[in-house]
Amino acid sequence: MSAITLHVNRKVYPLDVDPETPLLWILRDLLSLTGTKYSCGMGICGTCTVIVNGEPVHSCITPVSAVEGKEVTTIEGLSIDGSHPLQKAWIEEDVSQCGYCQPGQIMTAAALLERNPHPSRDEIVNAMAPVLCRCGTYPRVLKAVLRAAEEGGA
Amino acid sequence: MTGLNDVSRRDFLRISYTAGLGLLISLYLPRCSRENLFSSSPTTTPTLPPPLDGPDAFTPGLFVTIGHDGKITITVHRSEMGQGVRTALPMILAEELDADWTSIHVAQADADSAYGDQVTGGSVSISTSYLALRLAGAVARDLLISAAAQVWGIGKEKCSSQNGKVIRLDKKGELPYGYLVPLAATLPVPEPGSVSLKPPEKFRIIGTAVHGMDDPDIITGKAIYGSDVTLPGMLYAVVAHSPVIGGSITAYDDSKAKQMPGVRGIHPLDSGIAVVAENTWSAIKGRQALILTYDDGPNASFDSEAEEQKLIQRLTIQPDPDELVAYYVMPYFSHAPMEPMNCVADVKNDSCDIWVSTQDPVGFKYQAAAIAGTRDVRLHVPLLGGGFGRRLGIGPINYVGEAIQLSKLVGAPIKLFWTREEDIQHEYYHPLSVTRVRAKLNDLNSLVATRNEAGGIPTGAWRSVTNVPEAFAHECFLDEFAHATGQDVVELHRQILYGRALDVVNMAAEKAGWGKPPAVGRGFGFAYHATWGVTHVAQVAEVSIDEKDDVHVHRVVCAVDCGVVINPNTVKAQMEGGIIFGLTAALKASVRVEHGRVKQSNFHDYPLFRLDEIPEIEVHILPNDALPSGIGEMANPVIMPAVANAIFAASGKRVRRVPIRAADIQMA
Repeated sequence: MSAITLHVNRKVYPLDVDPETPLLWILRDLLSLTGTKYSCGMGICGTCTVIVNGEPVHSCITPVSAVEGKEVTTIEGLSIDGSHPLQKAWIEEDVSQCGYCQPGQIMTAAALLERNPHPSRDEIVNAMAPVLCRCGTYPRVLKAVLRAAEEGGA
Repeated sequence: MTGLNDVSRRDFLRISYTAGLGLLISLYLPRCSRENLFSSSPTTTPTLPPPLDGPDAFTPGLFVTIGHDGKITITVHRSEMGQGVRTALPMILAEELDADWTSIHVAQADADSAYGDQVTGGSVSISTSYLALRLAGAVARDLLISAAAQVWGIGKEKCSSQNGKVIRLDKKGELPYGYLVPLAATLPVPEPGSVSLKPPEKFRIIGTAVHGMDDPDIITGKAIYGSDVTLPGMLYAVVAHSPVIGGSITAYDDSKAKQMPGVRGIHPLDSGIAVVAENTWSAIKGRQALILTYDDGPNASFDSEAEEQKLIQRLTIQPDPDELVAYYVMPYFSHAPMEPMNCVADVKNDSCDIWVSTQDPVGFKYQAAAIAGTRDVRLHVPLLGGGFGRRLGIGPINYVGEAIQLSKLVGAPIKLFWTREEDIQHEYYHPLSVTRVRAKLNDLNSLVATRNEAGGIPTGAWRSVTNVPEAFAHECFLDEFAHATGQDVVELHRQILYGRALDVVNMAAEKAGWGKPPAVGRGFGFAYHATWGVTHVAQVAEVSIDEKDDVHVHRVVCAVDCGVVINPNTVKAQMEGGIIFGLTAALKASVRVEHGRVKQSNFHDYPLFRLDEIPEIEVHILPNDALPSGIGEMANPVIMPAVANAIFAASGKRVRRVPIRAADIQMA
């Protein structure tokens, strides 16, 4: 166990945890930020994606010690009221089916728009391809990111 | 849950419809609630008469409660797993209630036999509830109109409703539903025959593109799935199981596991060795530190490839000279919902609360009660992070029972958690089957199909169930038959189908440009199927095969007739999603079993279709006033034969087993 200070959604959390604990379980079990979901546990499905200092990160394989002092943003912190252009586009395009992977989809897209506010279709496809969805919402994921990108991105 | 074969499937439908009738009857039991459901004071505006005396809310039946504040709560008794039921069922009731859609809220029903059938499966949530929910809305509307007529001292026939208000036909006044609640709650519920339903041309909610009820919570991370349920003092548990389904753990050494930080206890259960910890990660680490000795049990030598060969040998016949015979193989598939199995249980002295994302709340509740040892079980249904049939049954390992046992043992709420690996390796699978189809070349009516399924590992309902092997064998065979007899396969369908089936065939063919030559290197494939015999779907797939023999699906045109469309957004989404779900099975992922062990374990070896692989998908909905007939399982069975037939058209290679990968095409 060791003392770690975590910055999540502009709040500061002093923690005493096993430094190897994946960020995912810190968020979900300790901070009650359950919007970030588990699905594969090996960094290959994208469901658990959060943003760390502007970059998309698989929280299920990222030790909490690796993000100390960095700014972590989860789906709960993307906007105060669901007004991020991606969140609005997700509703307009009726993307969600079961919805379980959607926080990971949205956070992956948000990281893309943060570094590239007007991505091309191919750039969107490349950025979003690693994020799996068993319901098959991909056509609408693509449309929603295109819409948000057109409407000013992040 | 074992497989739903054809016979049990029919029973299931009959029970569902009977239960639907049960709902209908129960609707007419007056269930006026005198509870103060909402604390806010009644809405009054200067134009309203003085507030009415009476209850603050009324509940004219099982499914709807109208508050004094005008808030309308519709109870959804089926489970939401992405098929849109928490939006569509309220739309149906709100339509007949003539409610303002923005005033609608949804409550998820706990497991309760009062709702009749709560099973979410077979794509029947809409079809079995459609008339019952319309009547529920109409009854509530009728009571509100009666109440308004009394307030105004005029006849009911001089009143009507409009978007959450009762209006006078002489336009001399209107009263919002919320205002009328105290009086409506005291009125006798009308006889079933005395309320009338809207003619479809008056629909203003049904048939419109309404956004998903849970979308605002999903996109902000507030939506609660089973794995998100958190209780004060809750502990986290994982269980070590035999890697072979049916095997057992004969000995364990927990000396290291007990020492792991955060681990609270190691508990041997009948099914395996449980690790209870302060958080999920500690539980997982604790389990990794267990040293286990296994007995692989009766499935120790089970091998899926050998089973497949046995099935083929058993079915193989010598064809007659004028006969076409073909064998089609459907392998084991994993459901692989994005959310693995989980359960939260809180057992107290004489009661037990369970939160589990299930497609069968009542069935799970009975099983839970037997283990909890109390009849006072409350089973709550959070959102399902995917279902696809996986959550219809608990499966070969009773994770609900494990959570209950552990909560009893440690005296605290328990969140029992499965990793992806457990989810893929310890479930019940789409059954491995071989279907033999034979027909005389001069007589398609002589077609006979025989399907044999493998035994061994547990199997069960996987999205579309038996329709998957049925559609694959039938539609691939028709394509082979058409080629063998020099006919066009769409023309062949036109000869054997009629009515709504023929209409979707024609629509898909026309929109896809069937009959025009494909671009160089590409091929078109066609398939039609009515899953469960109710919803008609035809698809044309356009594919190409690259120099490595990898298949690329460029475009899928899908025509669907599901009767009355409740929400066109959802119909389209389910067609798209079903096609993509089916493409994973058609081209990418299946389960192999060796030495009784499922070889696949995670998304690297059970790869799902990805965004960069999807085709352009066009969905054409054929309008129809027939009773709505379901959409969740309707697209998935059709895409597999459509793609296999397109591969033949593009390459001349006939592959009769999915998933079709480059090596299969090279060997064909």
